[in-house]
Amino acid sequence: MSEAQVSTADGRSSSVGAGFRRWLSWPAAPALVFLALLLVGFSVGTERFLSIGNLEAILTSVTVLGIIAMAVNQVILAGEIDISTGSMMGLCAMVGGIVSTSYGGLILPLLAAVVVGALAGALNGLLVTVGRVPAIIVTLGMLYALRGVILLITGGEWVSGIPGETRLMGLGAVFGVSIPLILLFALFAALSLVSRNTIWGRNVYAVGGNRPAARLAGLPVDRTRFTAFVLVGVCVGIAAMVFIGRTGGVQTNAGAGLELQVIAAVVIGGTSIAGGRGSTLAALTGAVLIGTILNGMILLGVPGIWQSGVLGALILLAITGDVLRRRALGAEA
Amino acid sequence: MIGSVITNLKGYTGNLRLSREIVLFAVLVTVVVTMSFLSPVFLTLSNMLNTSRFFTEIGLIALGMTLIIITAGIDLSVGSSLALVSVALGFSFAAGLPLPLAILFGVFVGLAAGAFNSFFVTQLELHPLVVTLGTLALFRGVAYGLSNADAVSDFPPWFDYFGQFFIGPIPGQLIVFVLAVFVVWLILARTRFGRYVYAIGHNEEAARFSGVPIRRVKIALYTGTGLLVALAAIIYTSRVSTARADSGTGLELDVIAAVVLGGASIYGGKGTIAGTVLGLLIIATLRNGLVLAGVSSTWQLFILGVLLIAAVFFNEFFRKEE
Repeated sequence: MSEAQVSTADGRSSSVGAGFRRWLSWPAAPALVFLALLLVGFSVGTERFLSIGNLEAILTSVTVLGIIAMAVNQVILAGEIDISTGSMMGLCAMVGGIVSTSYGGLILPLLAAVVVGALAGALNGLLVTVGRVPAIIVTLGMLYALRGVILLITGGEWVSGIPGETRLMGLGAVFGVSIPLILLFALFAALSLVSRNTIWGRNVYAVGGNRPAARLAGLPVDRTRFTAFVLVGVCVGIAAMVFIGRTGGVQTNAGAGLELQVIAAVVIGGTSIAGGRGSTLAALTGAVLIGTILNGMILLGVPGIWQSGVLGALILLAITGDVLRRRALGAEA
Repeated sequence: MIGSVITNLKGYTGNLRLSREIVLFAVLVTVVVTMSFLSPVFLTLSNMLNTSRFFTEIGLIALGMTLIIITAGIDLSVGSSLALVSVALGFSFAAGLPLPLAILFGVFVGLAAGAFNSFFVTQLELHPLVVTLGTLALFRGVAYGLSNADAVSDFPPWFDYFGQFFIGPIPGQLIVFVLAVFVVWLILARTRFGRYVYAIGHNEEAARFSGVPIRRVKIALYTGTGLLVALAAIIYTSRVSTARADSGTGLELDVIAAVVLGGASIYGGKGTIAGTVLGLLIIATLRNGLVLAGVSSTWQLFILGVLLIAAVFFNEFFRKEE
């Protein structure tokens, strides 16, 4: 039925209709439209929303979320999932914080955070590919296990008083543009490029789109998925340095609940949870959308306790929209 | 010749299944012995019976989860649903609803939460993993929003019966749990519905073509689990005499760990109620023993997390052998 409607629309205005349909099949399109509508809505609804200061504040506030979401996006594109990122971010921030308070500097804490992240990601990847344990179980287990490791390292103590040179990645600015923002967009450019133009990037789509077919075609299915999990770890390490730069200290519950925001950002942005369909732009758009909504909620005076509820509703809306869109587009999408 | 091969294979599988439950039982005995060395209080009847008050809630939900996992599904939202039911019950009571009606309302909310999950799973054919990840956030958020992050605890004394009632030394909820185990076992092992559950898990396409009403079975499973969650929530709320939005945080980990430890395959088609009960007993004794040994709750989560991954690893390892 829906296909018939589409073809009538085509018959009437073929070039516009075809162009519109191609645009509609673009993963991030609905999220971008929604974001634009929200920006207009909040600008009209509240006085303080539409200012350079506030918009920059929104973008800066989603840096941690955005960086992790763009990496998890690759895991989801490959047909897997990673819900361990909240605890992983906490662990990387804790390790980075401890190294920074003992040795100072920026490079050493960054290296420590990235290495710990990469190791945790590699453990996820190994258990999924070699251990053949489903990713949801591995990363659910790791979500709790890594939180335990944080307590093992710290004995429940907080880290505070992180020196200024370490906080550069969260607080610094170059030519008036904050470093978190530059990092976010640099990583966006890098990941887009990798995803679209490298062999690994294309393999991720193939593996997520149809794993048996990818295996039969001789693609390194396990290595592709493993690399995606390690990439998440590395990006979580980088994001953790932005986090401690912004907060100046690390609590043992740092990053708790972040994993849900990350998944929400990826699927709201338009990457299909079924794998094989989506883009880095989608994950970034989703993260900005979440930041905008949370910011707008505060400006509109919605109590913060509704945050989790709004997040859940958004995830359900996004995945429902994805299904309806795929049904409307038929086999094309 | 082929016949004899099949018989051999069947014998092999039978042996494996036997060895799995023996392995589980051996693990349980090992845990019990280790814990009794760690704490002198552990191996006493009163402690054992007291422990059962805590694992009833996990156990009730694990029964429903077993069936869901056998169909290759999952429900991550059970911890949040428990909080939602608890808050619905407590705050409708605080708002002036008579307590029996408030309890009924809680049951209704539990059923509705399960039906809500099943709507997305069956009508939109979305993977239950994502759906329940969404409702995990949604239900918890609604519970926080409705309760305004506040707590209700001025329940009348008779409400204690649900979670603090004893028949002699035996806690009331243990009896409820044993009854529930029997009913769910009967449904899974002795009815056509139970065969449908396994059929869907083995091969959903084949089940569809064989005329199994897949949607109806799944709606029944998720809604039924919602009912078990509601039951667990009522017992929980009565046991702690408080309705709060942060109840049951991380509960899904305990539940899923018990089920997969009991041998249910996350890929569907495999699992038994007996296995789940054994898995539950192992987790419950482990947790109780760790508490008595003075291990912090976050460490318990760490151990549980590792246990969960290890259990699934060994499940799939055994499965490959088959």
